[in-house]
Amino acid sequence: MNRKIFITALLSILATAIFSQGIRDSVFLVPPVTVTSEGMFNKEEAGMKETVVDSVIILEKINLSLSDLLSENTPVFIKSHGRGALATASFRGTAPSHTQVNWNGININTPMAGMVDFSLIPVYIIDEMNIRHGTASIADRSGGLGGSININNRADWDNRLSGKYMQGLGSYSSFDEFLQFSAGNKVVQSKTRLYHNYSANDYTFINRGIGNIDPLTGQIVNPVDTNDNADYMKYGLLQEIYFRPGSRDFFSVKYWGQQAFRTIPRATSYEGPDNSNLNSQSDTDHRIMGDWKHFGERGRLELRTGYTFKRLDYILKNTVYGMGLIPVIYSESTQTGLLNNASYKLDMENDLSLKASIDANLYRVNTRDSVKKTGYSEQRFELSSFVSLHKQFAGRLNLNLMLRQDMTDNKFTPLIPYLGFDLLLMKNKSLIVKGNIAGSYRYPSLNDLYWEPGGNPDLLPENGFSYELGLEYRTAFTHHVLETELTAYRSDIKNWILWIPSFKGYWEPRNIRRVLSQGLEIYASLRGSIGELNYSCTGTYAYTSSVNYGEKSIWGNESYGKQLVYVPLHSGNLMVKLTYQGFSLGWQHNSYSERFTTSNNDVSRRDRLYPYFMNNCSLGKEMQIRKVGLSAELKVYNLFNETYHSVLYRPMPGRNYMLLLMIKF
Amino acid sequence: MPARIANIILIVLLLAVSCMKDDGLWAPGDLDLQASPEGLFIINEGNFTYNNASVSYYDIEKQEVYNDIFYNTNALPLGDAATSMTINDSLGYIVLNNSGKVNIININTFEYAGKITGLTSPRYMHIINDNKAYISDMYSRSVTIVNPSTFEIIGDIDVSNEQSDFSQHSTEQMVQYGKYIFTNCWSYDNKILVIDSNTDQLIDSIEVLIQPRSMVIDRFSKIWVLTDGGYQGSPYGYEAPGLIRIDAELRIVEKIWRFEPGDYPGALKLNGSRDTLYFINRHIYRHPVYSEEEPEVFIENPNTGLSGGFYTLGIDPNTSELYVADAIDYVQRGLVYRYRHNGVAVDTFRVGIIPTSFCFK
Repeated sequence: MNRKIFITALLSILATAIFSQGIRDSVFLVPPVTVTSEGMFNKEEAGMKETVVDSVIILEKINLSLSDLLSENTPVFIKSHGRGALATASFRGTAPSHTQVNWNGININTPMAGMVDFSLIPVYIIDEMNIRHGTASIADRSGGLGGSININNRADWDNRLSGKYMQGLGSYSSFDEFLQFSAGNKVVQSKTRLYHNYSANDYTFINRGIGNIDPLTGQIVNPVDTNDNADYMKYGLLQEIYFRPGSRDFFSVKYWGQQAFRTIPRATSYEGPDNSNLNSQSDTDHRIMGDWKHFGERGRLELRTGYTFKRLDYILKNTVYGMGLIPVIYSESTQTGLLNNASYKLDMENDLSLKASIDANLYRVNTRDSVKKTGYSEQRFELSSFVSLHKQFAGRLNLNLMLRQDMTDNKFTPLIPYLGFDLLLMKNKSLIVKGNIAGSYRYPSLNDLYWEPGGNPDLLPENGFSYELGLEYRTAFTHHVLETELTAYRSDIKNWILWIPSFKGYWEPRNIRRVLSQGLEIYASLRGSIGELNYSCTGTYAYTSSVNYGEKSIWGNESYGKQLVYVPLHSGNLMVKLTYQGFSLGWQHNSYSERFTTSNNDVSRRDRLYPYFMNNCSLGKEMQIRKVGLSAELKVYNLFNETYHSVLYRPMPGRNYMLLLMIKF
Repeated sequence: MPARIANIILIVLLLAVSCMKDDGLWAPGDLDLQASPEGLFIINEGNFTYNNASVSYYDIEKQEVYNDIFYNTNALPLGDAATSMTINDSLGYIVLNNSGKVNIININTFEYAGKITGLTSPRYMHIINDNKAYISDMYSRSVTIVNPSTFEIIGDIDVSNEQSDFSQHSTEQMVQYGKYIFTNCWSYDNKILVIDSNTDQLIDSIEVLIQPRSMVIDRFSKIWVLTDGGYQGSPYGYEAPGLIRIDAELRIVEKIWRFEPGDYPGALKLNGSRDTLYFINRHIYRHPVYSEEEPEVFIENPNTGLSGGFYTLGIDPNTSELYVADAIDYVQRGLVYRYRHNGVAVDTFRVGIIPTSFCFK
């Protein structure tokens, strides 16, 4: 506590000193407020809850991965296995495979597990991002029982020649390099991004999993250990080319390639030999897409094609007598996808518009463990047709009807319907009531069906029914904008697929009878300027009750009616950013309530994932010298040096720092 | 003006209370319990990589269970993936498969007495005498020789077949006949290995059916092995499981009873007088060792669903009472049912996550 007061006092003095200097500059990190009224009352999005992630937030998190951004600035809960380790999402209390992630319209969920590891997506490659909550994701594809996350790249047609280089230096031997170069004119634009991240990740912690008996006192002492075998590295390239021959046609080609290596730490209680149980994982990703948008008189045609390639190798090595360090598990998998989409949007008379699209996707998975000789090789063909109708009545009511019909592996899935509305309560004030009622559906992933051992080809698809109701309010003053949104939802999902260890010695996926997920999401954002000070505050709160109503008849089973594991009931975050004359100050807070690790929500003193309150802050300065911009930013993570856990017994780092230096022209 | 705003914000920062000090969790234990003369330790595996293995203690006479005794006595978590426990004198050796070690407790006070570290993926421990014990291992393809009094590793026995396929041999349970230790190789394997405990050398192997999982030795020096047959699609093979009787002296397979393909028998145990076998194949079966008949159902499993049901069993060497564990859905605390030797249910109590092994005092 004393240290906290000291740090705060120090920062306070520092702030006072900085702000009283009065240096005049022309570059601001928080963009000036532009008041716009569009985007809120769109009949094409009636009833859909869509959150656009503010560019301020993307900029603030530029050196981190998408898991940090989602965890700290959105209601999506991220279960993280450690710094730089596997991070999966739980959106509205659903499973990781229920959140669909699309990069420039191309779905990047792996066909094997149907999920995304968000620690492998750097924020750096994102220009804009929006989140579609719950069944609003039907507009993109099926399977988004929790929602969809859409990350996109956009052309900057005003750019002629520009470049940027960022260098990050951080605690635990962390080094980040980012290079960007773009050139073009009003017709053609090219943008190239290169990045490289590395961290030894060797922070120290008090290891509560190991006890040594002190020979003098007989007391049990916990050693201070280093987080070994947890280093990670990734590097990649994003190349975009945009071509705009006239005002009616727009072409783009984008390629994103990345190679990531990471070693996975052993259990903290592990006291075996040094050269044993060494885990490592290698992820190679290539994603390429191209699209053509044609704007007609009243219609818009879009054709899009993409190819994704993912190679995931996982190795577990042990020192074997007489043979040295050899793998006991050597699992290699290759997953490819060919994704194609054609869509047409037509604006008709009487405030009516229509959209139709068709998707044809082909996936291939090939996986093999060369030690145990297990594996499978499968292919899946998906066809999805979509039609939506939107109408605005008397400038007050929007109605949106969407219908999606999938065919997977030659089997028709049930029709997925969606009906949503937006009602403008007061004509001259942006106060809208919105709601929707929809079905949802997800076909089992290839691992669920074919993994050896355990895969169950007789698994039923997951399907659900949900409705939501919300209130959205936006108001603007001369120099300030306030946006708020409140949404309540209820989602009833049947045949939820869950992998459970069976008595046969391996895990098996089963259809749980029913999961009821209901909750509340609150969003508020206040941005503006007071004189020369620009500020931006964004906060979210989510109440997520996700309850298991599965098998009641099993003797002794207490999980019926209990919260699902790793889904916190309460979660919230707040980000504040201030800029003044080139200086910036940021504060990020996020917290989660207790997360259960047992299906009957039983907690023991030893096993608690107690509530989590995390604070980070940043301090920066930007300046412009003729055509060149320079900036430096110091980020402090885990400001109050808290001890916390995201998963049981994986230690998290104490207070750590990152210095980001940037030069741009 | 901006300075004042900055100060206000920083004061707000101060109010962001840091409430996550977990020191309270690590205060010394509050369990002041002396173990009863007759008791049962239940080893709860916990979930792999969750580090939430635990030990429960059941007072047989009072019919009371005490959970998490290791943590509550020593303020130290047991470790990750506990597999088994062996007792020698007043010390209990608890093998932790994913923590690379054996934690040792005093079986009367439950106090932490020490540990044997430096193991790769240990599974079971077999005491030969006060100065020598063997620990089987899943990945290192060797059996580790340790001194149970000094807690030190004193040697290794190489059991590798020098090939890369299927990582053979992994070793599991151990039984002793004279100076010979027999160990079953379960994972993608079909052998019983024989080790001479005087010379610490691998001297022989017996081939059985696919994937021998559990093994016991009866009073007539016959070794009984229960296999699980592999799984459908397994690259090592898939067949009907079997119950195999082996003569320990001659080291030959004498008789095999076959089950149906798809059955998953396990948890082979002997009663106190070591003349009757018990095992689980959905239901609990009983089979006198001299019988040539098919094994018969002794206790029927009331659970016919996919989850729940009998997971493993233990038999009291004094009274031959049966204790049957039920792991339910593997993500919540399990149950143990206690039956008299005639099959009458006596008690039910809740233990830790995935009760995997019983060890009688």
